[in-house]
Amino acid sequence: MIKLDNVTLTYPSGKGIFDIRFEVKEGTVMGYLGPNGAGKTTTIRALLGFMKPDSGSCSVIGRDCWTDPVSIQRSLGYIPGEISFPDGMNGDEFLDFLSEMRGSKDLSKRKDLLDMLELDPKGRIRKFSKGMKQKLGIVAALMHDPDILVLDEPTSGLDPLMQKRFVELILDEKRKGKTILLSSHIFEEVEKTCDEVIIIKDGRIVMFSDSASLRNSRRKAYQIRTGNNSEAVSLLVSAGFEIDGGRNDAENGVITVYVKGEDVDRFVKTIASFEVVDIDLKTQSLEDVFLSLYARDAERVVK
Amino acid sequence: MNLILLKTTFKKNWILMLIFIGVLVMYLAVMVAMFDPEDMNALNEMISIFPEELMKAFGFSSLVTDLTAYLASWLYGMLMTALPVVYCIILGNRLVAKMVDNGSLAYLLSTPVSRVKIILTQGLYAILSVISMFGILTLFGVLICEISFSGHLDVRAFVQLNITTALVNILAIMIAFFFSCLFNESGLSSGSSSGVLIGFLLMNMIGGSSEQLEILKKLSIYGMYDPVEIVRGAQTIWLNTGLFIASLILLVVSVLVFKRKQLPI
Repeated sequence: MIKLDNVTLTYPSGKGIFDIRFEVKEGTVMGYLGPNGAGKTTTIRALLGFMKPDSGSCSVIGRDCWTDPVSIQRSLGYIPGEISFPDGMNGDEFLDFLSEMRGSKDLSKRKDLLDMLELDPKGRIRKFSKGMKQKLGIVAALMHDPDILVLDEPTSGLDPLMQKRFVELILDEKRKGKTILLSSHIFEEVEKTCDEVIIIKDGRIVMFSDSASLRNSRRKAYQIRTGNNSEAVSLLVSAGFEIDGGRNDAENGVITVYVKGEDVDRFVKTIASFEVVDIDLKTQSLEDVFLSLYARDAERVVK
Repeated sequence: MNLILLKTTFKKNWILMLIFIGVLVMYLAVMVAMFDPEDMNALNEMISIFPEELMKAFGFSSLVTDLTAYLASWLYGMLMTALPVVYCIILGNRLVAKMVDNGSLAYLLSTPVSRVKIILTQGLYAILSVISMFGILTLFGVLICEISFSGHLDVRAFVQLNITTALVNILAIMIAFFFSCLFNESGLSSGSSSGVLIGFLLMNMIGGSSEQLEILKKLSIYGMYDPVEIVRGAQTIWLNTGLFIASLILLVVSVLVFKRKQLPI
């Protein structure tokens, strides 16, 4: 549904995105992570047809984003990273205006969204708080029930309760089969909603995580060494634990076992029945990768 | 062209238009009130006190004796272009560059309406608002003159004068609109349009004050015609056509520039 083919888009300053290539398949939620200034918004500008790539091409529902943005916009909902509304408008006027421009008559979803986010759109937008503006942006992007959502840091400015509610909203849309590109800083919301994750840094994709590795990151991985590996593996498998590489792969004498939060107790009791030489918690979650990227970035700034 | 956008643009900008119409109508009323058909000679004598160059710079001709030429000289010689310049700069900037600068254009572009349609609508609003401004001004002019000095105003000549003045101001707002489409920053857009349009006004003034510098007046969009000559029956069809075509070309160029440009919003 959303496809970028070796897209390079640079600004006069030399920053930009380079050779970005990924695809968001129909019905999947793609997380798009990266530190500030990594190129997330630039990618989205290319997708929305605001900027033309220097080379490469991007398309949504098979239409080129630069030459044919109009037919894309009909089925696309967009939350800008830095939301700015037209001057001098009331919140409900703005929503009416967008509905008219889109030619959408059905107002039921708009009402549901306003209720869900507890937003009263009356009054001047200029007087709205940051959070209210963000909520208005969310309603504006979702109220015409588009098939594709491009969300650029959609929860910035929302309080934790509303962030949680937003995650529910995305999960709802996901269940309806929507295709979503979610650019975000907040690891938790990506972890809860996304099937696949891309991490971008300095304009280049540095990590791609498919659904399987993402699922693994939601569980803890314990590495154990035992006196008798084959016996230990048999016991663990029969207790229903997933072992990295399956039954036969216990090289170096290390067994990696994935354990969900609620199974920790059962895991400990299972391994108590054989000799454990060493136990270690493997820290290879997506959050760690993400954080290490941030940290490297911060180090460079300090230097 | 998109009617919904046109309506919204009107809602956002009609107060600005109203303010300028108010000021222009006020000036018109004051100038008519100061007219004394019995005593035009007194006025002409007063003008002769001032240096001729100064009066010419402001577009005042000393040989007016009737109400229509009096208005053409005292009002349309300078005020009816100098005041709307401010309107052109403010509105031109608001219609495009300001929305790019603050990012609110992203919302317009995220609807299924093309860039070309959006910019054409904004440009059309600019033109329509100048036409309305001078339309209302003409109506008020005729009305005020009929109430104060019934029969003195040559309505046909006055309408001709307003048509040409409106066309000049349309060209001015299209210049401002072009810069608004060209630049992504509000400051650059309004700076360039102020520079060019105020430059044209000054060229017209300086060129009018001295024979040697007359070329400056001829090069300015405001110096291409003499309001007093128009009310005395000068042919305006070619000038009007030229102004119209120039505005149209600027509108088309603005649309093309905007269609192709990179928008960091």
